[in-house]
Amino acid sequence: MPLINFGSILNFSIELETLDEQFYTAALNNPASAAQKSVFEQCLNDCKKNQKILQRTRRENVTEMILENISDFTRAPFVIETRNPDGMNGQEVLEMAGKLEERAENYYLQAAEKMKAQSEVARILKQVAKKRTAHRNSLAG
Amino acid sequence: MTLPVMKNFINGEWVESKTTTFGDVWNPAKGEKIATVPYGVKEDVDMAVQAAKAAYPEWRATPPLSRARYLFRLKEAFEENFEEIARVLTTEQGKAIDDSRGEVRRMIENVEHATAVTTLMTGYTLEDIAKGIDCYGHRQPMGVFAAIVPFNFPGMVAWWFLPYALVSGNTFIVKPSEQVPMTQAKIFEIVEEVGFPEGVVNLVNGSRDVVNGLLDHPDIQGISFVGATPTAKYIYERCGATGKRVQALGGAKNIVGVMPDANVDDAIPSLITSFFGCTGQRCLSGSILAPVGDIAGELKEKFIAAAKNITVGSGLDEKTAMGPLAGAQHKERVLSYIEKGIAEGAELLLDGRNYTVPEYPNGYFVGPTIFDNVRPDMTIASEEIFGPVVSIVNPQNMDELVELVNSRNYANAACIYTQSGSAARDFKYRVNPSMVGINIGVAAPMSFFPFGGHGNSMFGDIKGHGQEIFLFFTDMKVVIERWY
Repeated sequence: MPLINFGSILNFSIELETLDEQFYTAALNNPASAAQKSVFEQCLNDCKKNQKILQRTRRENVTEMILENISDFTRAPFVIETRNPDGMNGQEVLEMAGKLEERAENYYLQAAEKMKAQSEVARILKQVAKKRTAHRNSLAG
Repeated sequence: MTLPVMKNFINGEWVESKTTTFGDVWNPAKGEKIATVPYGVKEDVDMAVQAAKAAYPEWRATPPLSRARYLFRLKEAFEENFEEIARVLTTEQGKAIDDSRGEVRRMIENVEHATAVTTLMTGYTLEDIAKGIDCYGHRQPMGVFAAIVPFNFPGMVAWWFLPYALVSGNTFIVKPSEQVPMTQAKIFEIVEEVGFPEGVVNLVNGSRDVVNGLLDHPDIQGISFVGATPTAKYIYERCGATGKRVQALGGAKNIVGVMPDANVDDAIPSLITSFFGCTGQRCLSGSILAPVGDIAGELKEKFIAAAKNITVGSGLDEKTAMGPLAGAQHKERVLSYIEKGIAEGAELLLDGRNYTVPEYPNGYFVGPTIFDNVRPDMTIASEEIFGPVVSIVNPQNMDELVELVNSRNYANAACIYTQSGSAARDFKYRVNPSMVGINIGVAAPMSFFPFGGHGNSMFGDIKGHGQEIFLFFTDMKVVIERWY
């Protein structure tokens, strides 16, 4: 599905954060992930914060003058089939988390580029990307 | 299923109208009734005016900064309910959800701007206008004001006026469009939570009787109106007859010129937004596309290709770029203009009639429609269509473009796309419309600049929002003072 405008990009961003929140919540309940507890907690908290930041960004930056279409950007490359981490071992959960963070980082960087005409939105998207980079580094340990 | 019946908000309470006549509110994407609206009567207006009049002395004596604090609270409450307001708006009006979000944003920006009252409402003073005599002028509130607002922006337009009137110390009555009353009802639920003193802000639903009740009421000081030009003219004349202040903003025929040096690829997305955003139901929408000289071929080809790619559907679907028209009657009106265009000899390049959205077979959809070879004297080039219908006229140079713009005597905005500062300057200097876009297709001033058109698009002196709005809602009391 194409991401064609401001609204669809921000909505997909919020959707990613919501899905990743669900993943980290489940991962934290998996005893096999005990060793990653603190980093998963950080990721979970950031997903929650990011949702609020992105919702505020959607509210405050939607301007009818510049609700212009965006081209050549779709959800498909950023959609990952996420397995429920309940049945995974510690290494599998860690690898899945790493994939999610890498996917999110790539998405936010590309989305920021697509939204560069709205500099405040691009700045926020880059800020979220930066957090995701930090998560990925922490997970790589 | 029992449909909700809209109530009036008077003196801090939700009350039923005294009327026995009711109308329907529709979801235009589904063609389904979703609510019932009372066509209010004079008694409803009287109740609201009495409440507003009674609340005025104490509200007027409330310090401006304290009045502004209500608006700060209101802004926060609007932010918290932002998405819900936008969704109600799209449900009853039809526009794409991002357009609704943009509208709610603009509404809140007016609340934010009005909190600058302590700077924007100040008067001025001069010592020694004669030996030992000083003179000063205060801006004072006047009493009860009212706004009568249209169906295309059910949330925002009342708020071009209301926050400024309130923060200046006046009390206020809103009459929403009977076609889309649910958004303002949702907004007033939030107003109620914020806890304004009883009677300071009121809402009366209705149609013609409520409008005339407000226009004729001796205790109303002024009327702010946005809507169609014939009604704007009627309101202006009637307010003149009853001695009220008035600002009556009407419809428009907005022209968007594209100069031969314009960057067409950069311009296309914003042209599409200009002509098809809000399904063309904006008084700032582009209506006539005027490629100048030999850029016409390239522009038409790319513009039509982009228009064909617009996703039309329910406004609540995030992928929708253009929703339905707001009502069944309005759809018929837009279709009749398309028929007129064909009958008068314009060439239909893209036909939006018989447009269907399979998931919403009963919606009031009209697809993007583009006419070429339109002559300036044709009906579709002269009258406001208020739908997704574009008329292409091809002036050969800047003089012809300016002549086209200024010959309508009926425009809110005029826009130009060019890479030339000189051409842009020439255009903005010579065209009559009061809002000019340069490489901008929707020349919508934000809350801190005035909004209003030219000629038959604006009746009255002081436009919507901007700094000048404080002049509309206050009277200058001049004191000349000497002490012995």
